[in-house]
Amino acid sequence: MKEQEARGNALSAAQVAHVAKLARLEVAPGRIEEYRTQLAAVLAHIAKLDAVDIAGTEPMAHPFESSNRLDDDEPVEGLPIEAILRNAPAAEGRFLAVPKVLAEGD
Amino acid sequence: MVGLEIHVELATRSKMFTRAGSPGHPDFYDREPNSLVTPTVAALPGTLPVMNRRAVEMSMMVGLALGCSIARRSKWDRKNYYYPDLPKGYQISQYDLPLCHDGAFELPLPGGATRRIGIIRAHLEEDTGKLGHELPGGFSYEGSLVDLNRAGTPLLEIVTAPDFDSADDVVAFAQELRGICRFLGVTEGIMQKGHMRFEPNINVIIELEGGGTVKTPVVEVKNLNSFKALKGAIEFEAAAQVDRWREDGRVMGPGAKSTRGWDDVRCATVLQREKEDAHDYRYFPDPDLVPVTVDDAWLARVRAEVPELPHARRARFVGYGLEAKDAAALVEDREPCLFFEQVVAELGGGAKAGYAAGKFLLNQLSKRANELGCGLHRAGLTAAQVAGIVSLRESGALGAQNVDALVAAIAGSAQDPKSAAEAAGLLVVRDDAALDAWVDRAIAANAQAAADVRAGKMAAIGRIVGAVMKLAGGTVDAKTVNERIVARLRVARLGEGA
Repeated sequence: MKEQEARGNALSAAQVAHVAKLARLEVAPGRIEEYRTQLAAVLAHIAKLDAVDIAGTEPMAHPFESSNRLDDDEPVEGLPIEAILRNAPAAEGRFLAVPKVLAEGD
Repeated sequence: MVGLEIHVELATRSKMFTRAGSPGHPDFYDREPNSLVTPTVAALPGTLPVMNRRAVEMSMMVGLALGCSIARRSKWDRKNYYYPDLPKGYQISQYDLPLCHDGAFELPLPGGATRRIGIIRAHLEEDTGKLGHELPGGFSYEGSLVDLNRAGTPLLEIVTAPDFDSADDVVAFAQELRGICRFLGVTEGIMQKGHMRFEPNINVIIELEGGGTVKTPVVEVKNLNSFKALKGAIEFEAAAQVDRWREDGRVMGPGAKSTRGWDDVRCATVLQREKEDAHDYRYFPDPDLVPVTVDDAWLARVRAEVPELPHARRARFVGYGLEAKDAAALVEDREPCLFFEQVVAELGGGAKAGYAAGKFLLNQLSKRANELGCGLHRAGLTAAQVAGIVSLRESGALGAQNVDALVAAIAGSAQDPKSAAEAAGLLVVRDDAALDAWVDRAIAANAQAAADVRAGKMAAIGRIVGAVMKLAGGTVDAKTVNERIVARLRVARLGEGA
């Protein structure tokens, strides 16, 4: 979504539905307006940051100063298969089983 | 025009953000489903990723080999989407700060020219798991079966500029890149295992009759895992896009790009329907991972690890006097090539040694390697033994007809070729008096051939050489015999003239 559209009350009901779909959240049609207002308020609050002049400031990718937390390339044993499948809603043999994913999405 | 995206599965031993064994490494090929899964791979709550140093280094090596700049600071981003092969709900990738960027590669073309291929970027990301629909035993399953072994394997995505104008050049580049990656040791490059996957972006520039040009919309063909499919998909699109343009008149522009897959059976590309939100990935920096910074010392260490690359080796071997196809054959696989280099080094290096060793490997040892079904380096001889045999050949001490016998005698043992050849009576007996006697008898018995040689028809010398070899019973070398015959006939001619 474009930034300008997200500001203030420019957020549309369709955008709320789209965001909900991306997040795999079910929103009852009757509550879209409620969320639209709330989300718009959140975005308007964050949009205040636009007022800060950040010309010449490096974007911050991480709040910590540190870098290069790296591991050696030494493999360890994987989990036993029972542990992997324990929380799966369904399993077939050594596989996790899920409903068929349609090529065109849901 | 074609631009190419290539995914290379890096052969680190452990995965990219956790230390589960990685299926891109030979130690972990073809493991049982879901046997390479740690809590991080399964995205269990509370797990945190830690970057594999080697994956970063391997990526830097490829970037350096492709003339890229290495970013002194790069970071990790989340690419968000839901799919059952992606337990976290996002893929860790690099969005705006790729590890390698702005490179170029001089692609060698047949005939000695090169074509400059721009490399836009090469960034690291993690692979997904695999979805299947077949149970062991071949029974089909109505749902999807998730195997997370591949999930979290380091993938290097290389993106070229749209600098290709033929399918052949794209394939040549892809093959060259495979060779480079194999020499760098970052993958075994087994296509059937998906170690390299290609995604060409193709469009056509059509010249209009009344002057001017139009560009057809770009088509991206996904997930090609063979050179044949890569070539087929590009050639198909090049023709199909002209037809499509004639039909609908659509040209390149925003929103005009489409994605297709390759149907190996029909040899055609097929339109893939995409989710409308497919590109709404909501990238943002991954708060679980700190950035990677590369200082001079680390970069220098990695640079020192980059060996001489296949194209440079080929050029050097041609410099030895070897034909282009022989040079290419010697560079085709890494281990046999390094074996060849060792033989040359044993011989003291240089063009003469390189030529002799190359010819010996390709003409003699390759026969044995083919029979054994192995590479030249596994044919049972050490580099020192091969060098010893080449030396004996070069000095004329070992005749061509006795090479196979000597190879068979010492293969698999630690024997020195010279002492083994002496013990087996395979060496040429250097007895000039005896040789001259055989040569004279052979000349006398082949008067017509001798006359022809005197008249300058050198092809006729073969008969006399053959006769000498027969008389000598394999204890002389054809090259020496040849020289001797020429010398004798010249002497005779001078004698006649006097």
